[in-house]
Order: sequence, then C-alpha cells, then structure tokens
Amino acid sequence: MSTAVTTGRRLAPQAGEVIDRRAPLSFRWDGKTYTGFVGDTIVSALVASGVDVFSRSFKYKRPRGVLSATFHDPGCTVQVGDEPNVRAAHRRLAAGMEVSPENVWPSLKFDVGAANQLLGRFLSSGFYYKTFIKPQRLWPAYQQILGRFAAGGVTAADAEHGYFDKRYIHVDVCVAGGGPAGMAAAVAAAESGASVLLVDEEYELGGHLRYGGDADLAALAELRAEVAVHESIEVMTNAAVTGRYDMNWIAVVQRQPGISVQGHAIHERLCKVRAGSLVVAAGLIERPYVFAGNDLPGVMLSTAVRRLVNLHAVRPGDNAVVFTANADGDACAQDLRRIGVGVTVVDARTDANIRRAEGGKRVKTVELADGRRVDCDLLVTAVGWTAATPLLNMAGDRPQYDATAARFFPTDRLAANVVVAGALAGDGSTSELVAHGAAAGATAAARAGHGSEVPAPALARVPHPELYRSTTHGIVDFSEDVSSKDMFSAKKEGYDSIELVKRYTTVTMGPSQGKLESANAVAIMAEAHGVSDFNEIGTTVWRPPYVPITLGALGGRGFENTRFSPMQPWHEQHNAKPLVAGDWIRPEHYGDPAAEVANVRRSVGIIDVTPLGKLDLRGPDVPKLLNLLYVNKWSRLPIGAVRYGVMCAEDGVVMDDGVTGRLGENHYIMTTTSSGAATVWEWTENWLQTEHPDWQIHVTPVTTGYASMNVAGPKSRELLGRVVSGVDLANDAFPYMHVRTATVADIAGCFMWRIGFTGELSYEIHVPAAYGLHVWEALFDAGFDLGVVPFGVEAQRIMRLEKGHFIVAQDTDGLTLGFGADLGWCIKLDKDDFAGKPELVWQSRRDDYQRLVGMQPVDPTIVPAEASQIVEGTKKIVGRVTSSRMSPTLGRSICLGFVEPRLATPGTIVTCQLPDRRRVPLKVIEGLAHFDPDGARMRI
Amino acid sequence: MSGPPIAPIPVARSPIVATPPVEVVAGWEVSTHRSTAALRVSDLTWLCKVAVKADANGAFTARHPTTFGSARRLPGDLIEIGSDPGGWLTIGPVGDAAALVERLTDEVADAGEMVSVIDLTHGRALLRLTGPDSVGALAKLCAIDLADAVTPNLAAFRSSVGSLVTDVVRDDLVDGTLSYLLHCERSSGQHLFSCLVDAGAEYGIDIAGPPI
Repeated sequence: MSTAVTTGRRLAPQAGEVIDRRAPLSFRWDGKTYTGFVGDTIVSALVASGVDVFSRSFKYKRPRGVLSATFHDPGCTVQVGDEPNVRAAHRRLAAGMEVSPENVWPSLKFDVGAANQLLGRFLSSGFYYKTFIKPQRLWPAYQQILGRFAAGGVTAADAEHGYFDKRYIHVDVCVAGGGPAGMAAAVAAAESGASVLLVDEEYELGGHLRYGGDADLAALAELRAEVAVHESIEVMTNAAVTGRYDMNWIAVVQRQPGISVQGHAIHERLCKVRAGSLVVAAGLIERPYVFAGNDLPGVMLSTAVRRLVNLHAVRPGDNAVVFTANADGDACAQDLRRIGVGVTVVDARTDANIRRAEGGKRVKTVELADGRRVDCDLLVTAVGWTAATPLLNMAGDRPQYDATAARFFPTDRLAANVVVAGALAGDGSTSELVAHGAAAGATAAARAGHGSEVPAPALARVPHPELYRSTTHGIVDFSEDVSSKDMFSAKKEGYDSIELVKRYTTVTMGPSQGKLESANAVAIMAEAHGVSDFNEIGTTVWRPPYVPITLGALGGRGFENTRFSPMQPWHEQHNAKPLVAGDWIRPEHYGDPAAEVANVRRSVGIIDVTPLGKLDLRGPDVPKLLNLLYVNKWSRLPIGAVRYGVMCAEDGVVMDDGVTGRLGENHYIMTTTSSGAATVWEWTENWLQTEHPDWQIHVTPVTTGYASMNVAGPKSRELLGRVVSGVDLANDAFPYMHVRTATVADIAGCFMWRIGFTGELSYEIHVPAAYGLHVWEALFDAGFDLGVVPFGVEAQRIMRLEKGHFIVAQDTDGLTLGFGADLGWCIKLDKDDFAGKPELVWQSRRDDYQRLVGMQPVDPTIVPAEASQIVEGTKKIVGRVTSSRMSPTLGRSICLGFVEPRLATPGTIVTCQLPDRRRVPLKVIEGLAHFDPDGARMRI
Repeated sequence: MSGPPIAPIPVARSPIVATPPVEVVAGWEVSTHRSTAALRVSDLTWLCKVAVKADANGAFTARHPTTFGSARRLPGDLIEIGSDPGGWLTIGPVGDAAALVERLTDEVADAGEMVSVIDLTHGRALLRLTGPDSVGALAKLCAIDLADAVTPNLAAFRSSVGSLVTDVVRDDLVDGTLSYLLHCERSSGQHLFSCLVDAGAEYGIDIAGPPI
C-alpha cells in the first residue's frame, strides 16, 4: 500500500477505499464550499478538508467531532437542506449538498450555550426535574425556554414531503449483518435451498473486513463473490433490521434505496419481513473509554480511524496516541504509522493507562496514568467491544456478561427460529467466523424447512482487559451529555437500579440508543455499587427500533382508499365542490346550495346518491331477517312496496336507517346510510352466520353495482316520463313508498322507488353502474326545458332538515336509544323479538331521556352552530342543537336538537348558548318537520 | 316521451379513467393502447362477473368443485373463482352476463336448492397485472406471500391491497407469464388502479388496454 500523503488530509489511494477519485463533488458546509469524492461520507469529506468539529453537545454545548465514524456517531448529526438529523458519518456525499450544523447559536465555532460548562455543577442529573417543578403556572414558560435547547435540526413547514415506500418480504432466512459471518450464513442458507434476505447497515457488505488489511480484503472479495452467485440471496445494504417481533415478523428500514418513482427518489423504505429464521450476525460495536476529555474532537475509536484511513483515504491526524488493549488497536496503530502519522502506543495489556485528554476544539495533550503528558492531535482508544445484542433481546434472550472476555454473550434462551452467528458468539479468525456463520446459516435454513442443521464450531472467548473508566470522570452518553459523575450522583441519590438510573440521567436514551454507551453505563453502575459481576447490575432492555426511523418511513405511502361515483367526471366538469364523506368524494354543492334548494322546491333537481348502501337480499326467510334487524314490522311488505326502517344495536342505540323494497317473491333490496353500508352488511352476516344459519337467506352487497340518483321536485314525474319506459308513473299506479323495475334512458335492469328524503315528490333511481353517467346525462338532457339542475349534499341536508328527517350519527349519537330519536311511531314492541328490543322496552318504561325535537330560533336570522348547548342557569346543560341551517324555503333558521323531556313540549322556549357565549331563545315546535309536516308534497 | 332527445347511444364506462386512445367497443368505452412492457396493468372491468351463492354441500357445489381459495379455467373463456365457502364468482367474456346468469340459474333449478345468481359486472372493478415483476409490485401493497409454494397459479385470496379489500387471483398467462387478476368494489377501482401504477413504477409498469 502507498504511504504518500496528498494535499490536505486526503491520502494516496488505499487498497480498500470506496471513494471514486474520478468523481469529485462540491458541497457546502456551514456556509462554505468544500469538495469530496463520490463514496465519501459527509464527515470523511470534511475531515479530509481539515474540519474537526461537526456539532455541539446536547447540554454543555461542547464541540464534538468524529468518534465512531459510523451511522451511530453521536457527534456527527447535521442538517442537510430541509432534512434534519442526518448521520453525517454515514450519509454519502452528494453534489450540491447544503450541510449545516444543528442547534448552535450564534455559530458552531462560538456557541454561547457553551457557558453551560461553567454551570456544570448545577446541571447535574435531575436538574430539570428539581428546578422546573414549581410554580406550576410557569410550566408553559419553562417549556418555551427549554424547547430552545432541544437537540435536533429543523424542518420547514413547507418542506417537500419525501417519498417513502413500503414493501412486504417473505423469505426463509433473514440475515441481520453483512460481515464475514453474515455473508457466510447467507451463502450456506442459500445453498441449502432457502431464500435469503441479507441486510447490512453499511453501503457495502463486508463488516470489519472492508477496512482491514490485505488478507481481510482478499477474504472479503471471495465472500462477496459467493454471495453474488446466489440468485436466491437478496442483498439489502444501507439498511437496518430495526426490530424482531413474534413469529419472526421483522422490520427492516432501507435508506435511500436508489430508486426513483415518478420522478421522486425514494427516501426510505420500510420493509415488513416475515422470515422462517433470523440469523443475527450483527457483530460487535467498539465502545468508548470513559475519562476526562473523552469527548474532545480528535478522540476517536480505533475503528473510526481505520474507516477514515482505509475506506476514505483520509488522514485523521498527524500525531497520535493509541491506547490499545487488543489486536484491533494494534492494527490501527500500524495503519497510522503506514500513512506517516507519528504514533505513541499506550498498551493497556501492560497496565498502562490514560488519565485525561486536554484541548479545546481539538485534543492537544494526553495525560497518562503514570503522569507523563504526550502532545498529540489524535487520541485513539481501543478498549473493547459492546456486543450488538438488541435483536437477541427482542427474541427473548438476556445476554450474560463474561468478565474474561469483557463483554456480553447470548444465552440459550433464544427462540428456535433465531440463530446467532459470528462475533456475537465468540472470537475467531476470519475463517473461523466464516465457518461459524456458515453453520448458523445452514441451521437457520433447516429450521425454515431446507436442508439439515449443522452444529456450529465453537468460538473462543479471548481474554480482554476490563477497561471501562479511567481514574477520571468523563462522558458516558455522548448523545445526552451524561457523565460518569452524573451516574455516581444518581446512585448516591438512591437510584440503584440501572433502569431507574437510565430514566433519571437519560443515559443510553439518546439517538445512539445505548450502542456506544450501555456497556460503560453498566460498568459504571457496577463500580458505583462496588460489585464486580456486571450481571448483578443487569442491562437496560433493548426495544425496537434498533436504529432511529423517520416518521416518514413509519407512515409510509399514503394509500388511502378514495371512492367515486360513476358520475364523478360530470361533477368535476360542473364545478362541484368536493365533499369528503368517509371514503367517498361527493358533490357538496355546485356553487349555490340555497338556489339548489329553491329549484328543487320549485321545479326539479337531481342529486347523486350512489354512496347509499345497498344490499341484495334473497330467500324465503328475508322477512325474518328484516323483522330481526329493524324495529318495525316487515312480514306483510307487498311486492312493489318499500318501507322505511330503523335499526338499533343490541343496546337499543340507533344504528342505521334506510328503506327496503320488495322486488319479487323472495327478492329484496335494502338501502342503508352511506357511512353504514359496511356495518350493516357485517351486522346481517353476523346474525345469519352465528344466530340463524338455518335461515334461507343470501346477502350480497351491491352498493356500487348501481349508480343511484334522486330526482326530486314537483316536476320530477314529468322529467322521468321522458326517459323511463315500462312503468306507469301516475300517482295511483306508482304511489309514494313503492318500487318499480324499469328501463331508464334505454338502460334495462334499473329499479326506482318513490320516497321523499327531501320532502318533495321524488324518485330514487338505481342504474347499473357502468351506465350511470349515461343515464345522468340523459336526465339533464331530457329535463333542460324543465329547469333541471343538480343539487349537492348541502342542499339535501337543508331540505331534509326543513322536512324534519333526522340523520343517524348527526342527530343521534352513541347514547341515543330509539325512543329518544322520536321513533316511537315505528318501534313495535309487540314483535316477538328484534335487535335492541330489551333495551327499548326498558326505555319505554322510563321518562328520563332527552328527546329529539324541532326548534326554531326566536330571532329567525340566527343560526346556532351545530353542537351548541341548550342551557339553564349558568352551569346546567339540558340539551344541544344537532342540526341547524338557514332555510331558503322558510326564510328563517331552523334546528333539530335534543332537550330534556320537560322541555320537549311544543311551544317551550329554551336557551341556546352560542360559541361566542351569547344566549339566544329557541322555540320547540310541534314534531320535527318545519316544512310540509303532513307530507303532502311527497304524495302528489 | 317528449322534450329534448336523450343521449342516443348508451355507453358503459369503467370506473377507471381510460388511457388514450379510447374507443367504444361492444358498448364499453375502453383503452386501445397496447404495450409490450414487461409489467403491464389492464382494466378488464368490462368482462362479465357473475356471483353465485349456494349451499356449500349442495347440488351446485357438486357440479362446481372449485374450492374456496382457488380458481378454475372453464371452457368458453370463463374463470370460476371459489370466493367464499358456498360462494363463487365467474368471470367471462364481455356481454355474456345475462346468458351466464341464466345458465347458472338453470343448472340446479330442479334440485330444490336455494341458489342466488347475481350479475356483479357493474359492481366490481377488475384489473389484470401481468409480468415477472408483478410480485415485486404487489409486495409493495399486499402482505400476502406470493411465492409459488403459498400462492400457486389459480390460487385465490382476499386481502388488503393498497389498504383496500381486494380479491386476488393468480391467473398466469398461457405462456406461463406471471399474472394476477384483482377485483374490488367498483367505486374503489380507480384507487386500486392508481396503487398498482404507483407500485409498479419502480419496475417500469405500463398501462395496456384490454385484449379486444
């Protein structure tokens, strides 16, 4: 390998480098322009340009630089354009990136918050809880002030919504971790005949081999080639297994998968994986050492240095102190020497130690345990590993600490469909890790039904010094600025459980979620307790997600069902204002709902009522079903007649209403409210399948099989006479509340019934849906000279209110029993049984329930807002307004609402409190109808 | 009748906006766009669809052994789907609904069994997704395992597709090309279609008119 140094901190080409020197990129950081290469991370490009500080710490605003050079690096979170909290030590550089530090004021270089360091003794754990508890009235002010100190970036309110994708994956084996063991496991599983998903957090497979020496790179090339030849292995890099749930339901978040859809780059993709087996080959995470000054820029983990040098060809410093307790630290020192960095090795295996680091925006001096001071600009620590066990914890395991190897290991409490591979299980050479991974992969495949299990070769537990904290205090949680001193203080305050200390100090609760901190936190708690066995302390519980996931990824694509009637194109062409009604888009009005009302009352109008629920009922026992579901009687409904019915739930609460018509001897059509269609279908099937499977009834939902339109107004008969054939529309031949099958505008198979929700002569026509637009247009063509115009939902609501027809769920609620909704006229308690009867019998014997009544404001110009309360005195609520409108027909305001029974007598004046607290009198009227109470207009 | 003339030619329309060029064929407004893309979605709503309900252990069932969760190809370009226990949906050529209803009704007319035969042509939107990447596209919308071992050719199931209750039938083409029929409530047809186009964009999906 070359040892030449190029300009700045960029090295000559390195054997394993991932940058493309032929592809330079320009980007901006903190207002200045920098360059890097394709393959650089934001941080590697900045380090190569001499930048040391990328953020300020959470509480003390201390300058922070590279620590681990991974996704989890707590000091390298930045803002990229509108995107906050970007992991700059992981995110690959892109041309034109606008990168800035987060939450610094006035600048990254000089942050006034750093004054907090002077107040550190007052900002210990629990500071917030103790200081801001009283007085309670200042909590909102505290919230405002403390909110300014919250970590994280900003999102502009008008930021473009990223494109987030979702995908379901079913595989035999999912391998979490693409290091040597993970790759070997994937290959072995594939060779057993299993389908495999191989997930790795980095942009390329290989784990630590990528930044290793020649032998590592050779092994890596071989493993990658083996993976590549197996089509049954899907490799997913820059992705993380974020959670393992029961039955190996596994969440994988794939970042920037490099796919564009309709011009939008997919930002993240949440993959929901169902795997037969899960191989956990997540490897080890190098842990920091706790000592004074351990968070200074220039203090790095050995793996961070090796990543910068070998992957990105970046020289991380000029004079290094390498504090090493293992071979990886030794290899790091070797790498540094190779690129010309002066190295002073402090070997922990000879009981040497470091005491503190000193410096400002970069480490300058290291004080060793023996008192010597060494000047340097880079302090490397290699003091051991944290086993990446979260997925094992999620699978039921509780890893145990082994003091000899100075790390946690899995136990045999794992679920059978979860297999451990590689360094999590022990130490070994590359070939030993590969062999272990291969056995794990074969076993995982076997447990998913492919091939046979292979016993895993034992991996040694190589002795390692227990190095967690020096003789000085330093940072334990770099994300939350929690020090070892804070943890000792917490112990002194009585927080003796690691879980309580976690919550009190917030240690391990930051964005890195304990990956760098948990082992040190346990060790320091053990030290504070004076115990040597970490298992007595235990660990905090690892829960999903393993890595932070954006809310966008969790929300995913917005696949929300939207339903349209066949006449929607016509509505759009005629400027209908869309109304979102559940899943449906309906015309609210076409410009002037009051005019639409007037036209219907005067002439004829047509409304699209396709969303009305429609059930096709067939069989000799349909009357039994109708008698069961409706509160009124159905045994004698003649063929050709329709009847209004109300359904109550078993608690007697009004559930739905509609009309049902009898088309033939054993053939009925039931309509429901638009929102109740699915509920009523389920209700019918529930009764038929569980209580009355012996009844001969077939129920088929046909809601959208028909386009439905209501032709209403005194001229509706004349209009229909022009397009309907096969039916005598005369009043005596086709009277009110009857149904006929007909041909409408040359479309056979239509049925029409004469009903009157608007209070006018009207016909509801149901047309085979594909011809809905044809019939709709034909009606308007035919009625042009009659002044036919469309009317929308708002006009319909006004007219039904004028007529006093209530709407379920608008004029009723979850407590409205049948009699309360003025339905006594149709509730037939003399029927043998029906849904809700016992409750309605009980209600009929009481007189204490509120009544639905018609009301009119004494001042006819005032329209009380719906849900306005009916009140007595200053505190007593005695009712509410459920519907209110200005009636174009009557020229005054009208209402429906509930009042206590003593106030329900016609003529009673009640008091309504408006939202602006004004009180206005309303007069209770006779019945519910404000207009045509006898229904004469419907029967002409 | 009197007054202005009504629209002279009834045209049936799918709930899915037809991709130009558009023609009226067999009384239906359909796209005649053709595509050779590897992944294609076609609106087949115009095909007739007839639902049957009968006793799961009765005479009709004996004559129609298509079990719940499977489908069967029948002469006359019909596909019979076991959609429920004691429930079937038969898909056939455009315009054949009335004849199919009559034939199915007559089959067991003398058996004394209650059988309901209902023309649902107008009540259901029907789509066909075709191509090797169909699984990839569907996997973005549907949680069901689409592997051969779980959902082989002529498997039928009901699931959420794009957050919509959808009936899915794997119905590979004669040459073995992977293909799925998807049908849902007519009013949600455009939603399902849009979901498939969205999900298939990653694979270069194209829209193709129905075979004519």
